[in-house]
Amino acid sequence: MKRVAYYKGCLASLSAKELDTSTQALAPRVGLELVELESVTCCGAGDIHEAEPDYYLHLNARILAYAEATGSDTLLTVCNVCTLNLRQANFMLQGDANLLDRVNENLKSVGVPAYTGSVDVRHLLWEIAEGDGYELLKTAAHKGLKGLKVAPFYGCQILRPSKIMGFEDPDRPWSLERIIEACGGVAIDYPAKIKCCGFPIIQAREETAMGELIQPVEQALEAGADVMVTPCPLCHLSLDAWQQKLEAATGRSFKLPVLHLAQLVGVAAGIEESELKFKRHIVDPRPALERLEV
Amino acid sequence: MQVALKVWRYDAATGDRALREYEIDAPEEATLLDCLDIVKDKVDGTLAYRKSCRMMICGSCGMRMDGAAVLACKTRMYDVAQAGHVPVISAMGNLPIIRDLVVDMDPFWDKFKAMKPYLQPGYERPEDGREYRVTQERMNAVKKEALCINCGCCVSECNAMESDPEFLGPQALAKGFRFVGDPRDGATVERLEQYSGEHGIWECTRCFFCNERCPKGVDPRDAIAKLGAEAVKNGIDRDMGAKHAKWFIRSTETTGWLRETELVPKTQGVVSSVKQMKFAMNLIKHNKAGLAFPPHVAADVGEARKLHRLVHEQGRLGAAGHIQGERALAKLEHGHHDGGDPYGPGSFPKPYLPED
Repeated sequence: MKRVAYYKGCLASLSAKELDTSTQALAPRVGLELVELESVTCCGAGDIHEAEPDYYLHLNARILAYAEATGSDTLLTVCNVCTLNLRQANFMLQGDANLLDRVNENLKSVGVPAYTGSVDVRHLLWEIAEGDGYELLKTAAHKGLKGLKVAPFYGCQILRPSKIMGFEDPDRPWSLERIIEACGGVAIDYPAKIKCCGFPIIQAREETAMGELIQPVEQALEAGADVMVTPCPLCHLSLDAWQQKLEAATGRSFKLPVLHLAQLVGVAAGIEESELKFKRHIVDPRPALERLEV
Repeated sequence: MQVALKVWRYDAATGDRALREYEIDAPEEATLLDCLDIVKDKVDGTLAYRKSCRMMICGSCGMRMDGAAVLACKTRMYDVAQAGHVPVISAMGNLPIIRDLVVDMDPFWDKFKAMKPYLQPGYERPEDGREYRVTQERMNAVKKEALCINCGCCVSECNAMESDPEFLGPQALAKGFRFVGDPRDGATVERLEQYSGEHGIWECTRCFFCNERCPKGVDPRDAIAKLGAEAVKNGIDRDMGAKHAKWFIRSTETTGWLRETELVPKTQGVVSSVKQMKFAMNLIKHNKAGLAFPPHVAADVGEARKLHRLVHEQGRLGAAGHIQGERALAKLEHGHHDGGDPYGPGSFPKPYLPED
């Protein structure tokens, strides 16, 4: 078992609780022991980074410090946006001793342990796409997906900027496809899989966001997808919940079920519905899964 | 070496469009631009593309290779040819195509001009009548943005602009920060007011394609974030995007986690939120929204509150908060590790390449 500090972020704590429960259920089967962080806050979701960057850096440094205090060298994330925010702050601190000193002084003055820079921030996707996690995944996914056609949707902030993410080629990523195939599904290809779902501006500029959101939904269905999978709960929220607005705006019916990564693998691993909690989705994935007797 | 290319040919006058394949012999050090020159000289003189300096300075030869915007003169072809890959070359995105690989740059320059991309001096004449001086450190604030060569590679891939062509976009906004961050410019507040309009700063969707594609390391998305920080610092925060961001700050100070249910009224105002009622009810039905009782409060959230107060006292507000991290981030290089690609080094496995 690899012991990792687990940062679930806002959505898995609140509107996407199903992401948390399915991650907790899946983790031991792919060799991860989760140490949940209690004294942590939101990473700022890119919003605090934009509006008050110095506060963003301190908030994320605090999360990194508490992760380091668990004794683990890995901070596990389940959200693209958390991953980017934490990795970026981590590189800022690791790459500039003066900045790290200043932030640590501030952390210590409010009672937070100092951060030495020893933690690596990694998304669940990366943990199970290669290495030991991938080997265990192949065994864990014993029930398979019976050829379910799955559209991988990466979203932006797990791929770009590549100098901060650095796991795979941002223009031709492979991790989700590899996992889908290891689970017995068929990965379908479509151009918008690496593009934006519109979520960051879905409240401030809904129309622009919807123009982005329709692309993956439309293209995945045209390519024959039964379901879509994403490693990001923010992408999930726009793809799943805002799909009804897309339908209202276009007068078309999409009904594309969207699964969190841990849920898709969870289905293949035979994890119970009580942990996967599909009833919390706006577009219910169960009919698509039942139709294929998955 | 033998280089094969597929090029999207297009004639706006007739609407004819065709994917043509060319095979040429090129020196091993050849760039994509060199290869196009050879095609034009020896195979097909009708091929149209822009070029000038051939050394990544003029910004003329932006185009797409396998769907990604590049400067043709910066792109070496050796590895591609060795792998036996035949790349698809096409015109940049988000701009109308005139012919083959040539796009109409007028919409690009219109946005560029709208930023008032010239210094509006805001300094006093030195009393001794001698030279005007500014420290290197203060000029470093706009070092990255000043590198822009106006090639359009960022604009080509901008996801927000694809959806709303009126969005000012990464190039224009990065140029905007080049002046907002310039210590000699005196129009900061006016600029921030203008750039905070409907199609400005807060319409950026944070897809980071611009940072990824920029051949000069400008990182336009980061420049947009600097503008956002300067706008908030200067109290120019009426836009829903700014209100959205401020609610995240408030949330971290109070419960630690985002107070999701209040985010919509705090961003859009109460009247707009009421219009969202039907949508919200459906979310509530699926436990996607609603007030949490008891509220989900992070342990030791007082520490975050104190940190917020502390960093305000230290005064590193606005773009300075971004710039302080640039030295460390500059050490990172674009790219990715090679170990994980299951299709093997040099493979071109699954990029999505439209064939029509």
